[in-house]
Amino acid sequence: MQFFTSLLIFSLPLPLLLAASTVHAGEVTLGTDAQRAAGKENYQKYCAQCHGAEGDGSGIATPFFNPLPRDFTSATYKIRTTESGELPTDADLKNIILEGMPYTGMPGWPQFDDEELMELVFYIKTFAEDFADPDAIVAALEIPEAPPFSSESAESGKTVYEENKCMECHGLYGRGDGEKATTLTTDAGDPIRPADLTKRWTFRGGPTREDIYRTFTTGMDGTPMPSYADFIEEEARWQLVDYVYSLSRETANYSDVIFARAVEEEIDLDSPEIVALFGDEAAFIPVVGQVIEAEREFFPSANAIGVRVIYNDDTVAMLLNWHDMAAEDSGTASPIKGDIQTTSDAVAVQLPSEPSHGQTRPYFLHGDSQNSVNLWFADLANELSNDGARLFIGKGSQNVMAVEGSEGVIEAVSSFADGEWTVIFKRDRASDNALVFEEGQFLPIAFSVWDGFHQEQGNRRGITSWVNMYIAPRETQSFIGPMLRVGLLVLLIEVLLIAWVRRKYKRTPG
Amino acid sequence: MNWLILLPVVAVIVGLLFTRIGLLGWVAIVWVAVYTVASYAIIPPLPSSIVGLTMAIVTVSLLVYISTDESKLASVRDPLVRFMVDRKYQNYLIAVVATIPVLAAARVYIQMNQPIEPPAVGRTIHPAPPQEMSFKGKKIDLVNVENPYRALEQSDPQEFALHVEQGRRVYFENCVFCHGDRMDGEGIFAHGYEPRPANFADPTTIVMLQEGYLFWRIATGGPGLPAESGPWNSSMPAWDQFLSEQEIWEVILFLYDYTEQRPRAREHHE
Ligand code: HEC
Ligand code: HEC
Ligand code: HEC
Repeated sequence: MQFFTSLLIFSLPLPLLLAASTVHAGEVTLGTDAQRAAGKENYQKYCAQCHGAEGDGSGIATPFFNPLPRDFTSATYKIRTTESGELPTDADLKNIILEGMPYTGMPGWPQFDDEELMELVFYIKTFAEDFADPDAIVAALEIPEAPPFSSESAESGKTVYEENKCMECHGLYGRGDGEKATTLTTDAGDPIRPADLTKRWTFRGGPTREDIYRTFTTGMDGTPMPSYADFIEEEARWQLVDYVYSLSRETANYSDVIFARAVEEEIDLDSPEIVALFGDEAAFIPVVGQVIEAEREFFPSANAIGVRVIYNDDTVAMLLNWHDMAAEDSGTASPIKGDIQTTSDAVAVQLPSEPSHGQTRPYFLHGDSQNSVNLWFADLANELSNDGARLFIGKGSQNVMAVEGSEGVIEAVSSFADGEWTVIFKRDRASDNALVFEEGQFLPIAFSVWDGFHQEQGNRRGITSWVNMYIAPRETQSFIGPMLRVGLLVLLIEVLLIAWVRRKYKRTPG
Repeated sequence: MNWLILLPVVAVIVGLLFTRIGLLGWVAIVWVAVYTVASYAIIPPLPSSIVGLTMAIVTVSLLVYISTDESKLASVRDPLVRFMVDRKYQNYLIAVVATIPVLAAARVYIQMNQPIEPPAVGRTIHPAPPQEMSFKGKKIDLVNVENPYRALEQSDPQEFALHVEQGRRVYFENCVFCHGDRMDGEGIFAHGYEPRPANFADPTTIVMLQEGYLFWRIATGGPGLPAESGPWNSSMPAWDQFLSEQEIWEVILFLYDYTEQRPRAREHHE
C-alpha cells in the first residue's frame, strides 16, 4: 500500500501535485524533493525564528509569545476541517499560513503565492511522521454554507450554549470567565485562556460564522476547546453559531478620542443609578504589553479597556471597563516595583500633572523628569470608597511616588461581575496640584491595567498610548441662531442693492 | 496637486475660449476657477485663511481690471443692471435673491457641524541626528561612524553571516513584538502604539538612512528624539539599557539582510 502510494505520487505530473488540496482521503501528499527543498529555504528564513530550525517550536522568539509557536513534531493543529484528533488537510495548513492567527505571534503571510504556500506545507509535514502514514490521512468534513443570520436563531442558540456547558469555560456572557477558566491548560501543560467570545476579531481561526461553526464542530486540538461534532444537531449548530456571533460586534473599532460629556445630575458614586449616568457609549482603547522599560510584560491579560467620562459643575468621573477571567480581589497592588507576594488586580488613569505647553507632553510611560504625570490608582483589593484609590506622581517608570496626604482626593468604587471589572473614579474638576478640566479642551490621557492572576505589578502591566480626551462643552451651541442671522443679513444686502440699482437705472418696461 | 480637479478646470476654460461669453461671464469663471483650484486641487490642502486671502486678492484684481475703462465697466455692469431691473427676469431674480441667503446659511451649518478632531500634531519622522552621542560612557562620532562588521561582507562572508545571525537573534528577542516578523511594523502589539512602529520592509525607509543614524535611533529610542519628533509619544525603546554596542550593529546588519536592502552610503565615500 505504502509502496503503491508513493509510486502513485512520484508518477503524478507536477501540476496535479500542486493542486494537492483536492486529493482524496488516505492519499499521502508529501511533495517532491525540490518542493520540500524550496519550502525549507523559506521556512528557515521566515519561520524558524519562532517554530525552531527543527520544527519543534523552540525558536529564538519562543519565550516571548503566548500561545507558544507551534511544535510541528507534535502534528497537533488547532484550525482544521477534519475531525477532532485528526491531521489537518493541506488546504487547512495553507489557509492558516496565509491568514495567520490574530492576536498571537503567528502573522499571516500574504506575500507567498499558492505554490510557495504548498511548498511550506510539504516542508512542515516532514517534521511529523504521521503525515506519511496513509491510515492517518482523513478527508475534510463538509462545512455547509451558512444560512442567513437571524436574531431568533441567536435567541435559541443561547439555550444550546447553556445546555452544552460552553459557559463553564467561556462564561455566561462569553467574556472568557467561566468557572474553569483559570484552571485550563494546553495538552503540553501550559496555561491557556478560553477565548473572549465578545471579541470575535481575536479568534485564532477567523471571525466568520463558518469559522465559528468549524471551531466547535472540530474542536481546537491541543487545547481544552472540545469538539461538539457528536453532541449538537445540525440545526442547533447554526443557532449556536448565531448566538456566539451576536455576542460580539463586527470589528474592534478602537477609538483615539474619548468624549467627556456634561451631565446635570449630581455625580454620587453610591447612587444605584451611577452606571446609567455614564450612558452607553464607551471609547474602546487597545491595551498592549509594557515592553519598553525594564520589568517588561510580554503577555498582558487585558487587550482593551472601555472608557466613559462625564462631568458636571465641579466633578469629573470616569467609568472603566475591561474583561478578566476572574477578580483577584485579595492581596495588594502597586504601580511601584516591589515584591508583592499576592498581587491583586489594579487600574490607573494617567494625566499630565500640568497643562501641556504647546505640543509637549510627559513621556507616555509614567512621565519623565521634566514633565510629570498624575496617576489615579485603584488597588481593587480594597474597599475602594475608603482608601483603595490614591494619587501617585510619575516622573519616569523608575520614579513613581505616592502623593502624601492625597487620601480622599480621588474617590473610586469598583465591582466585578460576569468577567467584567467596572471601576468608577471621581475627583474635583479644579483643585490645587491638579489639572483643570476645562470645557472645549483636549487632554492627553492614558491607562494601565494590572492583572493580579498574572502577578502583574509595577512596570509589568498592560498599557495604552496617550489618547485624546475632549471635554465636550456643556452648551452645545445652537446653530439655528447663527444661520438665521447670516441668512437675513445676506438677504438685506441683496434687497438694498437691488433697490439702489432700480432707483438709479429707471425701470425699463418688460 | 489633484489632477482630477485641475485638469477639468483647465479643460472648461479652454472650451469656453471657443464660445462667446461676455466679460461678465469671464469674470465669474475666473473667480470660480481660482476658488476651486485653491480649495480643492492643492494637496496638502491650503488653510482656509490662505484661501480667503487669495480670493480677496483675486476679487480686487478683477474689480480693478473691470474699472480700467468705461467699455469694460459697461459690459459687466449692463447685464447685471438689466437682470435686476428688467421685468422679464423678475422670477429669476426672486429665485436668485432667495437662494443666496439659503446657501450662506447652509455654509454656517456645515461649519458648525464639523466633527471634532484632536489638534493635528506634526511629527518629523527622520529628524537630523546629533553630531555625536555617548553610548554607555563611550563617545560615538555619528558623522563618520561605520558599522564595524560591514566590511566583512567582502573580506570574510562567513564571519559576516555569523554576525547577521546574531542580529537575527537580537531582533527576534527584542524587536519582533512591535516591528513584526515581516519587518512591516505589524507586530503583535503594534496596534496599541501611536505612532506605529517603523516599517523596515517599506523600500523608502532604511534604504534612505545611514547605519550610524540607525545606531543612534536604536540606542536612544523614542526618548532620544528631539522635540519636533514627539519623543513623549514614541514607544521605540532606548536600547542602550538592554543591548551592547555590538548587538546594535548586528541587528542593523540583520535589518538590511532580511529586507534585502542596502544602507545609504556616507556621502564623501562616493
Ligand atoms: C513570530 C513568530 C512566528 C513566526 C515567524 C511564524 N509563526 Fe507560525 N505560529 C506562531 C505561533 C505563536 C503559533 C501558535 C498560535 C496559536 O496556537 O494560537 C503559530 C502557529 C502556526 C501553525 C499552526 C496553525 C494551527 O492550525 O494550529 C502553522 C501551520 C504555522 N504557525 C506555520 C508557520 C509558517 C509556515 C511560518 C513561516 C512562513 C510561520 N508559522 C512563522 C508564531 C510564528
Ligand atoms: C473546557 C473548556 C471549553 C469549553 C467547554 C468550550 N470552550 Fe471554546 N474555547 C476554549 C479555549 C481554551 C479556547 C481558546 C483556544 C485557543 O486560544 O487556542 C476556546 C476557543 C473558542 C472559540 C474561538 C475560536 C478561535 O478561532 O479562536 C470559540 C468560537 C469557542 N471556543 C466556542 C465555544 C463554544 C460555542 C462552546 C460550547 C459549545 C465552547 N467553546 C466550549 C475552551 C472551551
Ligand atoms: C515597543 C515597541 C517597539 C520595540 C520593541 C522596538 N521598536 Fe523600533 N520603533 C518603534 C516605534 C513606535 C517607532 C517609530 C517611532 C519613532 O521613530 O520613534 C520605531 C522606530 C524605529 C527605528 C527608526 C526607523 C526610522 O525610519 O527612522 C529603528 C531603526 C528601530 N525602531 C529599530 C528597532 C530595533 C532594532 C528594535 C529591537 C532591538 C526595536 N526597534 C524595537 C517601536 C518599537
